[in-house]
This record gives sequence, structure tokens and C-alpha cells, in this order.
Amino acid sequence: MNDIKFSRRSLVKAAALAGVAQVASPFVLTARAADNVKIGLDNPLTGTYAAVGKNELIGCQLAIEQINAKGGILGRKAELLVEDSTSGDAGTAVQKARKLIDRDKIDFLLGNVNSALALAMAGVAAEKGVLHIVPGGHTDAITGATCHWNVFRVCNTTQMEANAVTPSLIKNAGKKWYYITPDYAFGHTLQAGLEKACAKNGGTKVGGDLTPLGTTDFSSYLIKAQAANPDVIIFLTQGDDMVNALKQAVQFGLDKKVHLAGAQQELEALEGLPPEARIGTWVFEWYWNQPGVPHVAEFVAEIKKKTGRVPTARTWFGFASTWTCALAANGAKSLKAVDMAKHLQDFHLPPEIALMPDGAFYRKGQNQLIPNLYVGHAQAKGSAPDDLFKVTDVVKGPDAAGTLEESGCKMTWPA
Amino acid sequence: MGSNDLQKQAPNIVVWVLLLALPLWLPYVGGYMELGSRVVVLALAAMALNFLLGYTGVLSFGHAAYFGLGAYGAGMTIRYLVPSTGVGLLVGTLVGAVAGAIIGPMIIRLRGVYFAMVTIAFAQVFYFIAFRWNSVTGGDDGLTGWTRLPIHLGFTTIDILHNPVAFYFLVLAVFAVAVGVMAWLLRSPFGRTLIAIRENERRARFLGIPVDQHIWISWTISCAVVSVAGALYALLNNFVDPRALYWTQSGDFVIMAVLGGMRSFWGPLIGAAIFVVLQDYLSSQTENWMSFVGLFFVLVVMFFPRGILGIIRRKVAS
Repeated sequence: MNDIKFSRRSLVKAAALAGVAQVASPFVLTARAADNVKIGLDNPLTGTYAAVGKNELIGCQLAIEQINAKGGILGRKAELLVEDSTSGDAGTAVQKARKLIDRDKIDFLLGNVNSALALAMAGVAAEKGVLHIVPGGHTDAITGATCHWNVFRVCNTTQMEANAVTPSLIKNAGKKWYYITPDYAFGHTLQAGLEKACAKNGGTKVGGDLTPLGTTDFSSYLIKAQAANPDVIIFLTQGDDMVNALKQAVQFGLDKKVHLAGAQQELEALEGLPPEARIGTWVFEWYWNQPGVPHVAEFVAEIKKKTGRVPTARTWFGFASTWTCALAANGAKSLKAVDMAKHLQDFHLPPEIALMPDGAFYRKGQNQLIPNLYVGHAQAKGSAPDDLFKVTDVVKGPDAAGTLEESGCKMTWPA
Repeated sequence: MGSNDLQKQAPNIVVWVLLLALPLWLPYVGGYMELGSRVVVLALAAMALNFLLGYTGVLSFGHAAYFGLGAYGAGMTIRYLVPSTGVGLLVGTLVGAVAGAIIGPMIIRLRGVYFAMVTIAFAQVFYFIAFRWNSVTGGDDGLTGWTRLPIHLGFTTIDILHNPVAFYFLVLAVFAVAVGVMAWLLRSPFGRTLIAIRENERRARFLGIPVDQHIWISWTISCAVVSVAGALYALLNNFVDPRALYWTQSGDFVIMAVLGGMRSFWGPLIGAAIFVVLQDYLSSQTENWMSFVGLFFVLVVMFFPRGILGIIRRKVAS
């Protein structure tokens, strides 16, 4: 190059480069306040589980505000770091978990809504020895066959949900059950759990269908189900499949002839249903309308102030998980995962966190939270626009949880 | 070595120096070791795809199948058969390569979009097997209950589970062997023949080259290398789920190859690095990160059809 001159082109390029540098610089300068206690949330913010993931995030944020207002964790400020795990990519979820642990040096790991991702993250947490709390991934294995000393779970196992709903269904609706089950691991485990609970309570299975994921036309399954003459049709389909199945069941007039029911149901899902399809008996894991239970009204009011909507079970999962971190550290007077995990054995959440009539505790040797479960039915219209569920039975956790041996968890602690 | 040779070797030297020194400089730019391992693993997958796409001229949209087979092969070997990282890697690679070799003859006569569609179809078959066969693969919950294990070399033991740098170098070593084999093949008469097929298949056929056979070999090699990457990916995550076999994963490999530049050997590496780092960084900043990755891809395809490395090359040439 003999002489230096600026052409228009190189000027544009320089401008573009400067622009890129602006965006890229935070990547280089990622130093965060070192004296904060960090809680890393690796949860879906995009994809199928975005809505429930965001509700968990809101619960976490409220908990962080409350923790800091009450003196923080071991006198230090609590900070929430949020990463999008995506709704289905285990590789991304694992990578984000490692990013939070290795680079951001978090003290607690939270996540994930998706059971598979929660299991994958639990693997990372076990490898790194970080205290991990799963707010909302339901597969039994997390606190069952693949349990770890440092992995705790707030939401219920699928078996607990099955055990909770069964007695009242048998009593109120009848003993002959028919299953409409999505054909993948989640559906299979849930159906197996319900069959077990049903048989224990004297019920029988009169038939069942496995429906491929993404089924839009359930008419053939519904006709078959009707022909089997059951007392109860159990819908275990999720998401859009559930919406389609329930809508078509109503069109067939099945809700007038047979009792419709299922296991886990969420406020987010009921909001997505047309009013006429809000039917059936279900289990909620937490509900905002609990008259007479102390502190619930304040929690609902605070969430409403933040978002304008009532909290869902997911909001509570995030809230309880984050508070568990603070309570574990403050109780153990340590941020060492082993000390905190030991402190959480048979640990009862205080009433202002548990927000349930009988409270909730982490069962020793399994690390599973044993809360109340709410059995009731979906309703087209309730006392308020957000009141889409009518609780009829509040089941005590220990009655639904089964024994520790049944969970299949054999916990080994680090030497 | 003449100056001309040196100029030719310059990109190789730069790439290897950067990769070998990665543990030294990555923390300073806000990265972490596993991010580096992930880039290298996905780069290997994208380069394997590019062996077929860029050098043979055949677009596969089903490489996730062999990636996933490698991953499940490695994971299931360690989980059920032999608790050894090395054996897991080997079995994973073999499973993917054999599946590719068997499926190859059924699809090599197809061209263009038909070839791509059939590769997707076969990939979905494997996806649904993994998704539905709960008792063996763990179904949708993924294959858990295993981890990569320390490597025993007789005189010493390398703890690749707890030492991310050691694991990175294992990944890099495997990457070097696989990439070396591909580069050597491309320089051989066989590789030149593949390029001849890419440029003008009819002429190659008239010259008496057994085109279908060449495409089959190229396809099998590509499948074998992508299953190496899959096996490494399983070891990286200590976890496999059916998503590794899903067609969106194949799409990601194609995006990486095209982003980086599918006419150049190192293009997919650049593409994978950009894709992974962009995803890692943007998704921490905004939940709309996918829009930005998509926008970036659209811009590259519209304005730099030869990919990022294509632009740099043109600059160097001019």
C-alpha cells in the first residue's frame, strides 16, 4: 500500500466494525459483582415452555427482592442470573448450566421445566457439586432412580399427582377407567402411575389408547373409549393435544355421559382452553385462591402488582425454589453445597414460603418437596376472571408421596 | 518450503495455533472451556457435512441421524456394556458409520431436493425409534445414569470428567485425526474425483467414473465423521436425548456449513464458532435471540453466498 486514503467503502466498513465492537464488548467485559451470592436460573424462555418458564422466572424475581429486603444471603446481596435453556435442546441447557457454574461462579443452580433438560442439568450439577433445585420438571427419576445428594425438587413427581387424584375419582366417579395417553415417555409413566394407584384403590382399567404426539383428530379414540363403557376417561395429553382432545370430547357430548379427568393441570393451560372445554377433574400443584390460608393473599397481591395477573403454580415453584436457596444457606451458615444439602433434609418451608394449609418439607433421603396437592375441577367461570379451577379436596402430601423405597432413590453422599 | 507454500499453509497454521492455545485466551474474552469443546465438536459435524455438501455437491438434511446414532452408541455402550470412554467413542463411530453405509445404497441414486428429502425421512425414522423405545433409550427423558470416564493409559490416568481442559484436548485430538483424514482424502485422486462430480456430474460419468459408488463412499465417510462428532457430543453433555437426532439439528449443521463457507475446508469451523458463540451470547441478552441468529444467516446468504471465509478469501486474493 503506497498511500492511505479513505474510500467510502472502507468508511462504511469501519463504521460497521465499530458497531459490532459495541455489541461485542459486553461479551468481553462480563465481570459481575464478586461479593454477591449468585443464583443461576437455566430455564426455557423460548419455545413450547416459554409461558411457564417465564412464570417461574417471575416467582424467582419476587423471591430475590424479598430475600434482599430481609438481609440477603449470609449478609450478602442475592443476585439472579438468567439463561435461556430453550424448551428442548439438552445440549444448550447443559452448556448454559456449565456457563453459569464455571464462568459466572454461581452458588445455586435452578431449572428446568422440561424433564429431560432437568435430568441433564442434574447430571452437570452432580458432576460439579453445586446445589441444584428443580422448580418444575416432573419426571419421577429426578428424585427417584437417578437422584443425587445435591439435587432437590419443588414440583411433584408424576406418581404423586396420580396418587392424589385417584381416591376422589374412584369415590365420586367410578371404578372403570379408560386412558387416552400421549405416546412417549411422559405419558407412559403417568399412565403406569395412575394404573397402579387405581388398582390400589379397587379400580380397573377397561381400555386405553396411545395417541401419537401432535394428534389433531381424536374422534376415533373417543368413539372407542365410549364403546368400552367406562366410568372415567383419563386424558393425559398435554398442550395442544389436550385442547383438541377436550374440545372434541365436549362436541361428542361425552362430558354429559362419562366423567372426564386427568392428572396434572395448570392455570396456563386452562387459560388457553375455550370456556366450554374447561371441564374435568384434575390436580393442581398450587392454587392462588386459597381462602383462609395465611400469607397467600399477600403473595397473590405482590405478583399481581408486578405482572397484573394472578400467580400460577409455576410462579410459586420459582418463588419457593429461590427462597429454598436463601433458607439453606442462612440455616447452614455456609455456602458449601454439602452443608446446605444436609440442612435441607426434612426441612420444613416456613408458612410464608410454603403458602399451603399443611406446609411443605423436603423429604430426607429423596430431596423431594412433599407439599399439599389440590384436587378439583376446571370451571368455565369462577368468582374472578382468573378463577378457572374449583378446589374440592386438598390432599396431604405424605398421603400422596408413597414411601421412600417406592421412589427408588438410593442416595450416596460424598465422602 | 517456498513462500507460496507458506501462504497456502498460513490458514492451517493460524487455525491450529488458535485451537491449541484456546485454554489460554478463551477466558479473557468471556468464554469458558466447555464452550470451546462445543465449538470443536459441532465444527467437526459441520465439516463432515461439508465433505459431502461442499466437496461432493450433495446436500444431506439428515446428518443428525448419524450424529445421534454416534451419541447414543457412545452413551449406551458406557451405560450398558463397557464402562470406558474410548470404547464408547469407537462403538459410537462404528454404529453411525455402519448405518450410513447401509442406508447409502438406497439413496445415492437420488439427486438434489429428492436426496435431501429422503435423508430427512431416514433421520426421522431413527428419531422416532429413540423417542419411543423408552426402556432402552430413555425415550423423551433422554439417556441418563452414565458419565464419561477417566482415560487409563497404563502409565497415567487422565481425568476428563472433572478437568474441562483435559477433555478439551481429548476432543481436539479426535478432531485433529478426523479432520486430518478428511483433508488427506480430499488431496488424494479420490478427493479430486469428488470435486469433478460436484462440478459436472454428467461429464464425470462420461469419463467413466463410477459416480454412484463415489457418492456412496463420500456419504459413508461423512456419516462416519459426523458420528464421531456425535459420540464426542454425548461425552460433552454426559447425556443424550432424541433431539440430537431431530431434523432441526441437521438444519443447524447445514446453517453452520453455509454460514462459514462451504467451498472452503475451514469454513464450517468458522460457521460453527459463529453459530455457537452467537447463540451462547445473544441468548443471555435477549429471549428473541433466535430472530437475530436468523437475521444474521439471511444477511450472510444474501450478501456473502460463499460464507464468512469466502469473503476473507476474496479480500486476501484482491
